[in-house]
Amino acid sequence: MIGTEQHEITAYLYAVRAALRDLPESTRDELLEDLPEHLAEVLAEAGGTLLERLGPPEAYAAELRASAGFVGGFPDPPPPSRLVALRSALLGWLRVADGKAGPMLGYERASEFLLLLRPAWWVLRGYLLAMVLAWMLDDSGQPMGLLPRIGGSEVVAVLLIAGAVLGSIWLGRRSFRSAGQWPRWALYAGSTVLVLVAIGGFFNADSSTRNDNYSDANYTYDGNPFSNVQDVFVYDQQGRLVTGAQIFDQDGTQIVLGNPYCTDETTGEYTHTDHMGYPYCPGDAPFATPSAERAAPADPSASVSPTGVPSASPTRSAGR
Amino acid sequence: MRTTVLRVDTTQLLKGVLDLAVLAALRDEDGYGYDILRRLRAAGLEDVGDASVYGTLRRLFNGGLLNTYVVPSDEGPHRKYYALNAAGRAELQRSGKVWRGFASMMDDLLRERGTA
Repeated sequence: MIGTEQHEITAYLYAVRAALRDLPESTRDELLEDLPEHLAEVLAEAGGTLLERLGPPEAYAAELRASAGFVGGFPDPPPPSRLVALRSALLGWLRVADGKAGPMLGYERASEFLLLLRPAWWVLRGYLLAMVLAWMLDDSGQPMGLLPRIGGSEVVAVLLIAGAVLGSIWLGRRSFRSAGQWPRWALYAGSTVLVLVAIGGFFNADSSTRNDNYSDANYTYDGNPFSNVQDVFVYDQQGRLVTGAQIFDQDGTQIVLGNPYCTDETTGEYTHTDHMGYPYCPGDAPFATPSAERAAPADPSASVSPTGVPSASPTRSAGR
Repeated sequence: MRTTVLRVDTTQLLKGVLDLAVLAALRDEDGYGYDILRRLRAAGLEDVGDASVYGTLRRLFNGGLLNTYVVPSDEGPHRKYYALNAAGRAELQRSGKVWRGFASMMDDLLRERGTA
């Protein structure tokens, strides 16, 4: 007996639930939470089946829906997420700005004018694409300049530009409406990368144009031709190395060049030199040969004592 | 143009005041769903539907006007009892006042026109 009743309740409940399937599940569960017990109460009263006492489950569900306040029969739309709300707010501002800026350009909306610029963007996009391709393919190590040179070749650059621009125009004239989401997102992502490259490239080109006056050679970017001078070696008329030399400019200001540190030949230590004036490191002189052979013919007096004056200079300089 | 004349019957009227009727049925004594239905029918609202009462109870509960508690029963299923809370009593008072004002206004109106 109880088994039949339970079965009847379950069947009725199932039909009511099915009639409310359009409600959000949590709402429906909450609404029907107590219904099994309630139906059991109804059945416990003598007087017929649930169907006879309560009518068809669909009608029961409709009455329940109305009285519980879910009249529409449609679940409430989920509240927009903050991101979606932000997006629609931004779009709203854009639309207002579009309408405001349009008359200044002589159009009803600024977007009409921008639409006309589209083919120009296709050409620019092609050029930028060629630059990026050349940058990726070129391994010659030479500066590229403003043309997409590969291996420094202008012919390749012009061909590459022509191909990329034609490709970009072809891509622009194709409709992406029918294509799926992925090709479109890929296009947007690619365009974003190109725009970033363009901005970076523009500022690079701008700064190298401004610096042109100061650098004649491509490898000196700081404009100081003495920046790679480490030490100064002064030789006298006889080709002998002068030690302890000081150099001054026309105002009597001392000219300071190089780096007063030396590597000790025996210990290998890199320490501050104790030599006053140039050279800091006499041991590193580029023409280290003592003036014995070169100075001897030039200075006959020196030849008298080969181990005398000429050898005195290297000995003195070596004695640190 | 088609015009509709709304015929007044108990079902129509009940829609507007079922909340108040259910609150009133719980004023003196807590009750479970079927119990409340029985009280309403005993009071004369014979047309009131089972689902309407059940749905109204769920809505008033969700609206914070009712508390519930479960009472185990020996002979049948556990029963969920509904009880008015403070908010429910306040709402009963407020809605009751509105209803009395409305009803007496209708009374006066009908009496003056001589239709009653």
